[in-house]
Amino acid sequence: MNLDWSLLAPEYVLAGWAAMLVSVDLFWGRLRKDWLGYLAAAGALASTLTSLIWLNDDTNFANLIEVNNYTTFFRVFFGLIGVFACVASARFVKDRLLHPGEYYALILLTVIGGSYMAAARELLTAYISLELLSFSLYVLTSYAKFDLRSNEGGLKYMLLGAFSSAIFLFGMSLIYGVTRTTQFEGIHEVLTGDTSGFELTLFLGLVLIIAGLGFKVAAVPFHMWTPDAYEGAPLPVTALISAISKAGGFALFLKLFAMAFLPLVDDWRLFLAGLSAATMLLGNLVAIQQHNIKRLLAYSSIGQVGYLLMGIAALSADNADAASALVLHLAGYVISNLAAFVCAIIYFNWTEKDEIADYDGLAERAPFLALALSISLFSLAGMPLFAGFVTKFILFQAAVEEDLLWLASIAVFTSFVSLYYYLVVVKHMYLGEPEEPTRFPTPWVEYAALAVLLIGVFLVGLGPQPLFNAVQDSTAFIFTGAEAAATVGAGP
Amino acid sequence: MLNQVPEAVVWAIFFLPLGSFAVISLAALLSVGGAIRWNPKLSGYITVAAIAVAFLFSLWVLDSVLQEDGRPIGFASHEWVRVGDLTVNIGLTADGLAAVMLIVVTSVSLLVQFYSQAYMHGDPGYSRYFAFMSLFTASMLGLVLSSNILQLFVFWELVGLCSYLLIGFWFYRDSARRAATKAFVVTRLGDLGFLSAILLIWTQTGELDIARIQELALTGAIGSSVIAFFAGGVFAGAAGKSAQFPLHVWLPDAMEGPTPVSALIHAATMVAAGVYLVARLFPVFAVSEEAITTVATVGAITAIIGALLGIVATDIKRVMAYSTISQLGYMMMGLGVGGFVAAIFHLFTHAFFKALLFLGAGSVNHATGTFDMRKMGGLARYMPVTFIATTIAALALVGVFPFAGFWSKDEILANAWKDQPGIFWTALAAVFLTALYVGRMLFLTFGGEYRGGEPSEHGDHSAEPHESPWVIALPLVVLAALSVGAGFVNLTDGFEHLLGGSLPQEARELQTESGFSFGIAAGSVALGLAGLGVAWLVYGLRRVRSEDVREALQPLPTVLERKYYLDDLYEGVIVKGVVMGVVVWGLGLWDRYVIDGLADGIGAFARTSGERLRLAQAGQAQVYGAAIFIGVVAAIAAILLANP
Repeated sequence: MNLDWSLLAPEYVLAGWAAMLVSVDLFWGRLRKDWLGYLAAAGALASTLTSLIWLNDDTNFANLIEVNNYTTFFRVFFGLIGVFACVASARFVKDRLLHPGEYYALILLTVIGGSYMAAARELLTAYISLELLSFSLYVLTSYAKFDLRSNEGGLKYMLLGAFSSAIFLFGMSLIYGVTRTTQFEGIHEVLTGDTSGFELTLFLGLVLIIAGLGFKVAAVPFHMWTPDAYEGAPLPVTALISAISKAGGFALFLKLFAMAFLPLVDDWRLFLAGLSAATMLLGNLVAIQQHNIKRLLAYSSIGQVGYLLMGIAALSADNADAASALVLHLAGYVISNLAAFVCAIIYFNWTEKDEIADYDGLAERAPFLALALSISLFSLAGMPLFAGFVTKFILFQAAVEEDLLWLASIAVFTSFVSLYYYLVVVKHMYLGEPEEPTRFPTPWVEYAALAVLLIGVFLVGLGPQPLFNAVQDSTAFIFTGAEAAATVGAGP
Repeated sequence: MLNQVPEAVVWAIFFLPLGSFAVISLAALLSVGGAIRWNPKLSGYITVAAIAVAFLFSLWVLDSVLQEDGRPIGFASHEWVRVGDLTVNIGLTADGLAAVMLIVVTSVSLLVQFYSQAYMHGDPGYSRYFAFMSLFTASMLGLVLSSNILQLFVFWELVGLCSYLLIGFWFYRDSARRAATKAFVVTRLGDLGFLSAILLIWTQTGELDIARIQELALTGAIGSSVIAFFAGGVFAGAAGKSAQFPLHVWLPDAMEGPTPVSALIHAATMVAAGVYLVARLFPVFAVSEEAITTVATVGAITAIIGALLGIVATDIKRVMAYSTISQLGYMMMGLGVGGFVAAIFHLFTHAFFKALLFLGAGSVNHATGTFDMRKMGGLARYMPVTFIATTIAALALVGVFPFAGFWSKDEILANAWKDQPGIFWTALAAVFLTALYVGRMLFLTFGGEYRGGEPSEHGDHSAEPHESPWVIALPLVVLAALSVGAGFVNLTDGFEHLLGGSLPQEARELQTESGFSFGIAAGSVALGLAGLGVAWLVYGLRRVRSEDVREALQPLPTVLERKYYLDDLYEGVIVKGVVMGVVVWGLGLWDRYVIDGLADGIGAFARTSGERLRLAQAGQAQVYGAAIFIGVVAAIAAILLANP
């Protein structure tokens, strides 16, 4: 057993930084006021850089946590999400929330949780990481102490989260009961060797695990918490939930299904495809009715989850394309979605408004902000030039390759629907009359963060090759590892 | 004859207008921030200069392609992204078809931009206008030059996006906003088919390169049902962009944009894209009986319904819009009957006389301040240049010898005559209708007495109408010359030769061969003159009162004025009724009221069980939990049923 504690260094950085933020908040009031957000961002960035030490390594800690390109990719990914979440929060927290130290510390903890969800190689570690992520988010959701909606959203999120965690845990125990191991590779081995056919316990476990993870990523019909939590949570927290809880959920989802449950793919493929179709349809169709930008983005993110689930449904033993396509779309979605949220946050900081009708004439009051939000929304809708088009196209074609043309057709159709409601926002911004013709001030730091995200949107949209190579490197191991296990399993 | 055109120059044709867009946007952004002072006039100059150079480069491409007899100049393709099995290359196509399109797009765009400098003079969005126009032109040029179908799709969408921005240019008008959204959404509806077709062809062949797809289709390597579905999907996209029935509804409303935008959309960029796409994939369509028949039929229907609508419209721009729909129907019909060359030839000549008609309408509006023909009249006296130019364009549109439209329309008719009598007679009927609405438009606008006097979209024009300034008049004169001359390019079959070369060898045989037929030519000209004559009787001499005709033909005029009730069907019934009403509303109800309604029931129980739960909006959380539970049970049941 490898007990090389140094492998966990990026998380030490994050945990230490979190502790430091709390004490700075306690003892150093002036720093707290203006600079705490940026200090927290620096911590997330530091952990990101630390994680690069293990680039192209393949090792693990006590068979529980593995450090390879998959882990590194997600450590970097989540670290950067943390950076943007902290920067985007800075002004909002300063103006509106109490106890900023704990707030930022919790954000860093979600990064740890997410990273370990990607790094876990066995069920219990995965579960604990999931809970770390979730609990931090429960607290953050209800962080606006005197806002009833925030309290309500947080409480609901927590109650339902606990419920779904129990389901997930129950599923895990059933799987353990059948396979007598919690190691992903071990499960894969047992399932490959087992030719006795359909086993009720196993499938019960599988369904429960899908339900538990489905809750975390907000798949229909486990999505109900999303609109309430999104609307109730402080805006930067909403942004964080939409990014890290989905990305973390899918990092685990993908790894679990590609590494452990792949031998049963014929049994769960249609189920997940159906889930995916329902999620896309409901998310995108209900989004049309929304009048609040947070709820709009909540439903649109449910729709995006549908696309991502398609990537899971398209997994197959001899083709790694679907896994790469899924991670690529995940990255594209998170970048575009964060950009959209940063715009909403900046707007909220000025006006305290988050109804779509309030965006009337934004193009005249803040041309850059309107342009940025339009670009993010067009990217989410999957328009060419922007990240969304490339990543969606690659994902759709991966699904078609596995004979899921019907699912891809639904996806193309719902993308078309999604354009409609994104266009409503664009229309308000560009074609509406501003309430008052005053121009907005320019928040340079937020604009800089936004500009970086937009560059990301275009970079992925116009030259996706570098990111795709990184993704391919990161997902490659899932399949080589699984194949190795398969040959071992078939041996004796 | 010049040297063969280098690849960099071909790329420059696309990048020049794109650069113009970038420079103008950057300058506009900086001047808003106060960093620099930017004279908006510069935006116009930059755009005109960039497109002028692109036009010269296009001539160079044409020259090189002519030396190759229209065959594609081989440019290497560049790998853009490689994802597992999916490799997407981007590259350039430079063959006869592309060269003709390049000339059409750059020349019309150049004249339109030149004209716009005066037309848009003093508009607060002057720089924005030229930035969008540059991007619009760049996207269309990129589309024409694409060698890969995915690359083409990217520009295809970009063209759609630009049209959205330009149609909604005067966003303070409610009608402009609605028209812009309608155009974008309707064309996107067709694009659903296009994107599905791309996914389909990729899974079936692993190819996205257009030349390779053509080759595979011709050698029979793709199954006939796949080809039919692929072609059907592509045609859905093309029908959206090229305003074919039943997706034509967006085009008349697109008149809400500034008139030069309409000219560009109708002549060279947006709507031409659909015809170009079908022409580009002509070999694929040609090998599938179902596909090619669909194209011909839809084209013929569109030609007739567009022309009929043109007769009742009172807005001069709407008359032109219906005319465009009808003429696009002709082009599709030409492709559908195997007349690859004839269709593109018609696209070529149509671009000039339709641009001229629009710019003429813009000039009339510049003078009178209205687009309503009922408020015009007698303008021939006040605006001789506009009058003569518009008349030339009108005669070209009707297809009177020797104007441009005569030659190209005649070729389509000759092709249809070969073995599609149904299509032929429909087309001939459309010739008569075309002449009728063109004549009506001419007599109402330029004949009789002036009936107007209202302020226009830019400034007050309540005095007597006057001829437009030379910046507006010059493009009219140039286009008038082209509307006369463009028809002669195929007199010695040079054009046919050039275009034919862009098809693969095997595909050339799939074209319909037809020579000049004196009978058809004479017949169609006679019909056209007859239509003009009828229009003269009704609207010129007023021997027959148009109201009487209207009464006599009821209910047809009403159906036409309601645009076959298609808008009502789409917006009222399908969008509002089915989609918004039933589906979305139902789902919303489900999420809000069924779940929340259950919540209220349980909430009543929960209210007694403590203050703490009241905070959680009484029980919703439990219901959500129950929903999760039901979901799980349903899933298990489904799996058990599937695995007995």
